[in-house]
Amino acid sequence: MKVKEIMTKKITSLNFEDNAVTALELLLKLKISGLPVINDTGKLVGMFTEKEILAKILPKYLENVGGFVYDENPKAVKQKILSFGDLKVKDVMRKEVITIDEDSALCEVAHTMLVQKARRIPIIDKAKNIVGIVSRGDIVKALFNEYK
Amino acid sequence: MIIRLLKLVLLFLIAVFLGNSAKGWGMTQHQALSITIFSASILGTLFFWDFRLSFAFIGTSVLLLTKTIDLEHVIEFSSLEVILFLVGMMVIIGLLKQEGFFAWIVQLILRIRNLTAKKFVLVISLVSAALSAMTSEVVSIIFIVAAVLEICDYFEVKPLPFVIIAVLATNIGSAATVLGNPIGILIASKSGLTFEDFILKAFPLAFVCLIAAIFLVLFWYRKAIIQLDKNIKELGANEMLIKLISVPPERNLRIGLAIFTVTLFFIALHHRFELLYGLPANTVLLVVPLISSGCVMIWKWDKARDYIERDVEWWTLLFFLLLFVQAGTLKYTGSTVFIAERIIGLVGQNFNLLTTVILFISAIGSSLLDNVVLVAAFIPVIQGFGTLGIDPRQLWWAILFGGCFGGNITLVGSTANIIALGIIEKEKDIKVTFLTWFWIGLSVGALTTGIVWLALVFTPFYR
Repeated sequence: MKVKEIMTKKITSLNFEDNAVTALELLLKLKISGLPVINDTGKLVGMFTEKEILAKILPKYLENVGGFVYDENPKAVKQKILSFGDLKVKDVMRKEVITIDEDSALCEVAHTMLVQKARRIPIIDKAKNIVGIVSRGDIVKALFNEYK
Repeated sequence: MIIRLLKLVLLFLIAVFLGNSAKGWGMTQHQALSITIFSASILGTLFFWDFRLSFAFIGTSVLLLTKTIDLEHVIEFSSLEVILFLVGMMVIIGLLKQEGFFAWIVQLILRIRNLTAKKFVLVISLVSAALSAMTSEVVSIIFIVAAVLEICDYFEVKPLPFVIIAVLATNIGSAATVLGNPIGILIASKSGLTFEDFILKAFPLAFVCLIAAIFLVLFWYRKAIIQLDKNIKELGANEMLIKLISVPPERNLRIGLAIFTVTLFFIALHHRFELLYGLPANTVLLVVPLISSGCVMIWKWDKARDYIERDVEWWTLLFFLLLFVQAGTLKYTGSTVFIAERIIGLVGQNFNLLTTVILFISAIGSSLLDNVVLVAAFIPVIQGFGTLGIDPRQLWWAILFGGCFGGNITLVGSTANIIALGIIEKEKDIKVTFLTWFWIGLSVGALTTGIVWLALVFTPFYR
């Protein structure tokens, strides 16, 4: 089975010039954790996810500070949340996007998800246009259904 | 692409020019070749920072293939004792980081009672310098900047002046002990200076320079300090900051601190133990971090691989190792004795002039180049002076302080500068211009280097 047989073809995507708060509200409304971002020519340019949103509002140096626990929410986080509406999707999104060819085997998609720690992967055709999206849940379901 | 090509051509031309000049001055073929390769490596570091390891690999290979140096001496000059010392210390620092020691320091700063702007400047300067002296400038700056950003956010002031103050103090503090800067351990291993020598001679001078620098920055940034005081009065006490973070679990933090303290204790007394047990110089200095990090990896056996793979900066250490080999080739071919003789020919028997030249060249050079690169190049020259009958002790101090304090002059002068400015750019979108940094950096650099110059030249204490 190829990934193009199980991928979601009707994709909601964001434009990189969209407002970040509007994009966030769309994620919450659709109850999904991330969406692909395209530019004005329809090319995939990034991923806008809950993880990128958290990375944007929390200090970047956190990983290097080491073991500690936040007992309160820092003022800086509040300020970043309040000014989130000043940002565009392109200011928040992750620019490095892992993609998979539509003819890839399910195991290859699973392999990529594990190695790259990706929860969802946009699927592209030979012309590098985005044609679908697949999530980890889709892959797990499809793999188990294939061998039941 | 074109700019890269131009840089590559320039690099090649300068390196070849220097090699040809060396031959013109009377150096042999091998000496000139070692100068060419070393220059190419240094320039490669300057022009292509991201590719410095590639330059180091290829440069060392060329030296071997052209028989400018042999394998036996590659091993000898690689200063494995310095590399292993740094590996051991990096593992211990990794443990401290994980157990929250640095976050605990951040917490202490956030919890300053009855905060005033001057108190804040004094605390961040002293803590930056102390932390840098005990661990390393690269490690300490991240935590200090984190604390500064939290406090400045809370009191709604611009953080840049206080970040710069912390960085300046970090670089000054890094000269105080063997641990503060890689050039400290490098100088100690090559000069025979001990940890005690650093405590007796480097520490007090670094402290005096720090106090002088604090007075200067209190004046330089008086407007920012007045603004912080005003905002502290308006916004009230930092109760929320006091409760902002905590560092569990305390038991592990205490064990980590105990390991670190014991390590520092034995490092401090390494010379005494070496004398007591008849061990070669610096044996205990090297062995202590290895034993401590070995114990850490037994205690935290499930994280041992992480410490080695993530906390040890292999990229940097490999670069240092090969840089030392290339600098050692200068010594092996006799280039450095040749250069030392020429310098003595220029300055005559005026030892104070020689000290001045070494001090200011290392300060200015360190402001542009990585100070390890500079010191690695200078060490064989200073050893050359020793061969020619000149007592190099004063020169070792000159190169230590020049190498550390010069890092304050420009924003690329020290890794701590680059890290701090990187954090502030990512967090606050503040891009510091070369000149914004340069004026305060030059002022502090000139003041502190001037104090060192007075101490080295006019007191007999450093001879």
